[in-house]
Amino acid sequence: MKPILVGKSILIVEDYPAMRNAIRNMLYTLDADNISEADNGLNALVAMSRTNFDIVLCDYNLGTGKNGQQVLEEARIQKLLSPNCVFVILSGEQSTSMVLGAMDSKPDEYLAKPFNAQQLFVRLERNLTRKALLQSVEKEIERGHLAQAIQQCDKLLAENHKKIRTHLLKIRAELAALVGDFEAGKRIYSEILHERDLPWARLGLGIIEFQQGNFSQAGQQFEDLLRVHPMFLEGYDWLSKVYEAEDKLKEVQDIINQAVDLSPQSILRQKKLAETADKIGNVDVAEKAYKAAVSLGKYSIYKSSSDFTNLAKLYSKTRSPEKALETLSNMRQEFRNDPVAELRAVTLETELHKNAGNDEQASACLQKALALNRQLGSKTPKDLQLDIAKTCFLQNQHEDAEAIMGSLIKNHIDDEQFLNDLRRMQSGIGMDNHSEELIQKTKRALVATNNQGVTLYKQGKFSEAMALFEKAIASMPENQTIVINTLKIILHDLKASGIDEEKLVRAQALLKKARQIGVDRHKLGILQMEFSNLLRQYNEAKS
Amino acid sequence: MNTEAKDNALFPVILGSTVHDIKNSLGTLLGLIQQLSGKQSPDQVDDFRQLEFEANRINHSLMQLLVMYKIDSNTFGLIEDEYAALDLLNEAKAQQDRLSQLQNIQVSIECSDDVLCYCDFQHVSNALGTILNNAQRYSRKKVVISASEVEGYLLFSIEDDGEGYPQHLLNADLSNQSNLDWVTGNTGLGLYFVAAIAGFHKNRDKSGFVKIDNNSRLGGARFSLYLP
Repeated sequence: MKPILVGKSILIVEDYPAMRNAIRNMLYTLDADNISEADNGLNALVAMSRTNFDIVLCDYNLGTGKNGQQVLEEARIQKLLSPNCVFVILSGEQSTSMVLGAMDSKPDEYLAKPFNAQQLFVRLERNLTRKALLQSVEKEIERGHLAQAIQQCDKLLAENHKKIRTHLLKIRAELAALVGDFEAGKRIYSEILHERDLPWARLGLGIIEFQQGNFSQAGQQFEDLLRVHPMFLEGYDWLSKVYEAEDKLKEVQDIINQAVDLSPQSILRQKKLAETADKIGNVDVAEKAYKAAVSLGKYSIYKSSSDFTNLAKLYSKTRSPEKALETLSNMRQEFRNDPVAELRAVTLETELHKNAGNDEQASACLQKALALNRQLGSKTPKDLQLDIAKTCFLQNQHEDAEAIMGSLIKNHIDDEQFLNDLRRMQSGIGMDNHSEELIQKTKRALVATNNQGVTLYKQGKFSEAMALFEKAIASMPENQTIVINTLKIILHDLKASGIDEEKLVRAQALLKKARQIGVDRHKLGILQMEFSNLLRQYNEAKS
Repeated sequence: MNTEAKDNALFPVILGSTVHDIKNSLGTLLGLIQQLSGKQSPDQVDDFRQLEFEANRINHSLMQLLVMYKIDSNTFGLIEDEYAALDLLNEAKAQQDRLSQLQNIQVSIECSDDVLCYCDFQHVSNALGTILNNAQRYSRKKVVISASEVEGYLLFSIEDDGEGYPQHLLNADLSNQSNLDWVTGNTGLGLYFVAAIAGFHKNRDKSGFVKIDNNSRLGGARFSLYLP
């Protein structure tokens, strides 16, 4: 065996000391010389934040606390793993739901226990070789330089590395779809499918249809995929996105429910299921799924106070105020000193007090909520703002309600799904179409601002156009359309009138902002590609 | 109250957690044996090999049992990816190393390192290990394991220099799940298991399958596994 582990930093995460020793000894026989150990998920994450490991071998079942899947999810979100780190999930248990759950978090490798040194060696060597070859591509992707990533990918493909060819094609097709080169993406996926019926290639074709707005073709593609590969969970997620885009909430609920049946460990799917069932009034499904989300959240990076309050709201709706209060008290224990959680709690308490006939307490709670909301400002999540507005309406504080509604509509005028939530809220309290006029007016104003800006730019008045857009951004900082159009104008100008460092910096800041306010990564890909091209030109000119 | 339904619901849970428990113990046991075997005096080496071989065998049987149970309850699924065929062969050989040393049998591999195989690594390497185990027990001195691409399939062959398969096995239809008369004894059980794993590997309209004959280049039995 080649001494592939010499000098590699390796972390073993395993709660059982005898097993930890066994794995360490196995690694020593493979010439490993830099081994660290952690006995639970939390310690593993601390170790990963201090050391940039080359290899992490993480047991799935780590006793009380985070499991291996949760460690991986958290390490990803906290960016504790470099692209060349090989993350292996080890597991003794092999129930279908556990395996599907673990695979969901996409470890580089999944290894069933017991395993021997030879098995471990093969898996590690395979991944280390692959990562070493793909390093140049992954590095560019991580930095957001998509044009350079594509260039590197094509270069490697031309070098004809048979062992990573399929993997490279997958990355290449994803990059093509990301930067809006749909034809290239489709061509690569179709070529792959011609050789072998691989589920991710079918999925990729469906995603491209989805991005092009061809929802029925996308839906067809995902349905076909699930018929042949029913265990491919991502297929359910994408099919649910199609239904969501078509505002078919019953279908969203049913398809997510199927995925949850297969893999009940996924907290994000449980949340989605709960929220969808809640919207369409399916109380039993919603309650079960919220409870699952709350319990799965205990050690998860995706733990959220909204799961608690949504469950409590459900209890309030079904006239079980004791259960609602109990849920809120559990939440306060889990989220001490968290202003958003507190705001969620007092908002709901307003409703609970009102329902119980305690008008004075209800009004005191609402004042507390409004004060907290003012302190939080734009940090209050939009679903919570909607709840506060609703509570204000119900408490006859129309002025406060309208102020919140006005700002929500302005900032999220291009988010049709959220506008539907907003409409549903109003219908729910007997105020059908209450904000429709404002919505339409805001839409027209947005279009007018855009047109005006583009016209100014076309007339060569770049700084006037920019001033207009910057003003619009200041007044609706979370409006995706405005941010994207401002970015487009800057990029266009950089291409037309030459590269200017100040504009490049502004473009970069806008790209970051777009990501922060949740612009879909596929929408952003084309702009990111243009930006990375300009940046390359700039760097080449400088050197 | 329907006690029958209750029993049925309970059994999978008990089976699952019992197997899980045994597997954990086995894992620790195997680790200990490997550690201790390095420190033993030369006259005990064979005992330790035997010990390790038996523990591996229990593990193998347990895996087979678990897989067959999952297939039976429709919860079996593969974790497929692209692997070097050579890695699969190395893995199968390594699993059976102790037996080869015990019986003084030479196992050689014929495969170039650019042959790729899309499959479930663990199940296919275990399946090959199972067949290799049989081949070693019935061979005299040599076994050859190989992999190559043949007409849109990846073909794994295991050839030995023994007496060859008995007639009743050669006559059996290995892919026929309804007539299992041939599934007797260790060899038949192993073949049944490997045929089941092969059948789960699919690519469009093609499925994996196994074939056996006595056309080994070494004069004994030849086993062939075709994966699409």
